[in-house]
Amino acid sequence: MMKKSKLFSLIALLLTAVLLLSACGGNNTANNAGNGGNTAQNDTQGGDAAEPVTITYCNFNSSGGNEETLAKMVAAFETEYPNIKVEVETIGFDDYFTQMQTRVAGGTAPDCYELNIENFAAYANKGMLAEITGVDVSGLNDTALNAFKVDGKQYGLPESFSNVVLIYNKDLFDQAGVDYPTADWTQDDVQDAAEKIRALGDDIFGIWQPITYNEFFKVVAQYGGALLNEDKTAFTINSPENLEAATVLVDRVLESNVQPNAVQQGGMGDWDMFMSGRLGMIPTGIWAFQTFTDGCDFAWDIAVEPGSTQKATHFFSNCVVMNPETEHPEEVAAWLAWLASSTASADIRLEAGWDLPALKDLDALSSYLEVTPPDNREAVFESLDYLVMPPVIEDYALMSDIISQKLAAAAEGTITVQEALDQAQAECEAQIKLA
Amino acid sequence: MKNRLPPRRKRGGEGLVTASPFLLPSLIGLLVFSLLPLIISGLISLTDWNGLDRLTDPDFLQDHFVGLANYKSILTTPEFWNTLGNTMEYIVLYIPLMLAASLLVAYLLSRPHRGIGAFRVVYYIPVLTSWVAASLIWKSVLAPQYGAMNGILAWFGIQGPGWLLDEAWAMPAIVLVSVWKDMGFFGLILLSGVVGINKTYYEAADIDGAGGWTKFTRITLPLLTPSIFYVVIVAMINGFQLFPQVMIMTGGGPNGATQVMVERIYQYGFRYYRMGYAAAFSWILFVIIMVFTAIQMKGQERWVHYDS
Amino acid sequence: MTAKKRVNTALFYAVAIALAVLAMVPFLWMIATSFKSRGALMSIPIEWLPKEPTWDAYIKVFSKFPFARTIANSLFISVSYTAITLFSASLAAFAFAKIRFFGGRLLLSVYLAMMMIPTQVTMIPLFVIMNKLGLTDTYASVIMPSIFRPFAVFLLVQQMRTIPNDFLDAARIDGAGIFQVYRKIALPLCIPSLATLSITTFMESWNDYLWPLLMLSDKNKMTLPIALSTLNGQYNTEYNVLMAGSLISMIPIIIIYVIAQKQFKNGMMAGGIKG
Repeated sequence: MMKKSKLFSLIALLLTAVLLLSACGGNNTANNAGNGGNTAQNDTQGGDAAEPVTITYCNFNSSGGNEETLAKMVAAFETEYPNIKVEVETIGFDDYFTQMQTRVAGGTAPDCYELNIENFAAYANKGMLAEITGVDVSGLNDTALNAFKVDGKQYGLPESFSNVVLIYNKDLFDQAGVDYPTADWTQDDVQDAAEKIRALGDDIFGIWQPITYNEFFKVVAQYGGALLNEDKTAFTINSPENLEAATVLVDRVLESNVQPNAVQQGGMGDWDMFMSGRLGMIPTGIWAFQTFTDGCDFAWDIAVEPGSTQKATHFFSNCVVMNPETEHPEEVAAWLAWLASSTASADIRLEAGWDLPALKDLDALSSYLEVTPPDNREAVFESLDYLVMPPVIEDYALMSDIISQKLAAAAEGTITVQEALDQAQAECEAQIKLA
Repeated sequence: MKNRLPPRRKRGGEGLVTASPFLLPSLIGLLVFSLLPLIISGLISLTDWNGLDRLTDPDFLQDHFVGLANYKSILTTPEFWNTLGNTMEYIVLYIPLMLAASLLVAYLLSRPHRGIGAFRVVYYIPVLTSWVAASLIWKSVLAPQYGAMNGILAWFGIQGPGWLLDEAWAMPAIVLVSVWKDMGFFGLILLSGVVGINKTYYEAADIDGAGGWTKFTRITLPLLTPSIFYVVIVAMINGFQLFPQVMIMTGGGPNGATQVMVERIYQYGFRYYRMGYAAAFSWILFVIIMVFTAIQMKGQERWVHYDS
Repeated sequence: MTAKKRVNTALFYAVAIALAVLAMVPFLWMIATSFKSRGALMSIPIEWLPKEPTWDAYIKVFSKFPFARTIANSLFISVSYTAITLFSASLAAFAFAKIRFFGGRLLLSVYLAMMMIPTQVTMIPLFVIMNKLGLTDTYASVIMPSIFRPFAVFLLVQQMRTIPNDFLDAARIDGAGIFQVYRKIALPLCIPSLATLSITTFMESWNDYLWPLLMLSDKNKMTLPIALSTLNGQYNTEYNVLMAGSLISMIPIIIIYVIAQKQFKNGMMAGGIKG
């Protein structure tokens, strides 16, 4: 008796729910009409010039200090294109991708938005982005452009751009009696200098280079290695070149201890360690310049990142992408191209000391060189000759987490470097299907 | 009042008709905001959805259906058992500590001393602090070399551990921080139970010459059991859903020692774009929580006293 | 006897103050950090108190977004959310605790089960449902889920179960309708729990971040946590600004807490009549 009644109410509940569910599923076919890849073709839209079109643009990069810079860019764009209005939505970095994913899946994504390299591949490979065509992007840096191409199609435009340089504490170099780093330094030179600086005191370390995926894919390139084979069909994580690279990084912590281990680092941020004057060198992004200028009471400068058998330098780039369901593909493309490649936008960006624009033509950036420190700002541009492409695959985040985790274990000494790379190789092969 | 349970079917006659207006608002909410999304996520768990494709496409299920593959692959990876183990470690450490701390808070706040109002606010401050701020602060307090915690331990000649950076200590450290954060919340819930206790019991005990401790164990604790039961259940559920503090303080490290289930669910769903897998993972978590809660519910008949 | 009492009092204060220090130190550190300049954040040894306190962080927070509007949004949402929760949950709890009805125990377990859902995965389905209901970008989408809060129902069920049935029966015999029993007897006896519940619910709603972020894209509807989250940059977070923002957002909750505390005291008196 009791049992029967329980069962009944359960079924009733389920039924109601399923009914509701099917009601939700029913009336959506109309929404999908625009789903078939409508890229920015040349519709005959010239006649509508009088009526301004509003497009929405969602970004994270301006959060934390550059909201006004972006607003200035929008104003400049709207003056140039009076028939387009751009509505900006700025969201903090931490949950940007969670909310963007939800909106894309729910069908309420904005007309265009910003993605970082880590997430770009997933969106592009899963068909969430429109190819950007009909605009001139020839002024953009080729490596950066290529990073946002899939199967030869341009799904994203590099909009902000930053690279990594070797930043060093001049005072510590002077005290240790070591010559300052130059563009042709190798990892061996770094090691020598780091050891001499380490000898200055218990609390002073030669270098800080995070032993994570992000550093690793660059350092293996310096040793002639790579994480994937050429056509990205197989992982090559435990190759001899990669092993050599990983060993250099790990030994700096465990063997020569020129780099602090986690306990020695004491939970302090890497930038903070550098700014407290306890680090000789730190390869980090050029976005650190402003903070270091404000926070360091010692002299510092920069050099191109060291190489080994070859040079390889790191860059970070965010791209802007188009929602394939936008009603105004042409206007969106115009805005994205303007944002990424126009000199007007580049000027505003540079003036605010935001990221670099990803432009080929460095003359536009000459004003950038005038600001010091660092004195050797040219190194920022010299580094562009050696940019290494991150191995963009669909499961980028998963791959990078697996590798980072194994490298961290190796850096703690729980497993050997060889084991770390073997395990990372095995796990990546097991969990990730390459095209 | 006598310790007498009402006859089981006493109000059976009033039944659903009487109850339904009381239940209606929350029932609607239950259906639309909880049950329906839950069922949809159950369906998602049977797919290889990447979390980006349109959920409302008419052929969604046909295109993505993979059956129980997600469940099978989760239950056969060591990662799952690892994170389950870590989650259990947290719960086993957290619940007794938290219960002791919040009973202490409730006891102190129930005493008729001067300045109790101020203490009541102070003990609640950690609850009011956002996890982001609290986690960041504790991270620096627990920093092995320059942190306050090991500094204080050093006064007593104790060499503190590496806390969040030490595989063995990372989870206990997270437990400590969570107890710090939650004791005011649960303490207040227990306090509202304490003040609800009929004063005449204590008066009777006074006449019998019972001491403070006797009164606490013989009167307060038994009559507080409904509140304690609530606290244990809620703490357990929260424990299984442990997430923000881990994300900010350790990110799952060192070496996976603090990887917990919800953290995995989040990563799979929103970083690795394997939403079907994440949904299956959370259904497994859901079932585990239900089993543990059902056990508690059954067990409550032995130690929880309703109806003073 | 009095000597013993004095020892007890001393002991009480010793323990109470020790616990208070433990609770407060991180909070005080938060305050100290919010007055530090960026450079002072990483000095060794740690600067416990800022040597040169500055308002920079606060100025930065206030200059970032329309403050009054944001606070008003947050207040409106949190107050409505709390009111609806109290209303809906206390009704349901009364039914579960004090009315025997067909399927009641089962339904209560369904309610309880809903507490156990990890929100990460129901989020997208719920988002889609809200879209279908046409509630995207409305306050309602953020407020309406308050109608079903199993944690609140559960808390109040536990509380109402301790109300002796004879009490309610007596009222019914005096001719009170079932709603009157709920309103005039059950609710007043639950004031301590309702007060606790209103604090925790308000706080949850006030601090809720991800859901409002998903639902509200109109800048004019932005809530405080969303506004504060834009202080996080991609590469770098300024901790002093973050702490200043967190402190500002704590102020309203502390005020609500103090108000609810008054209710709590009144509730204590009400508790006296019970039983």
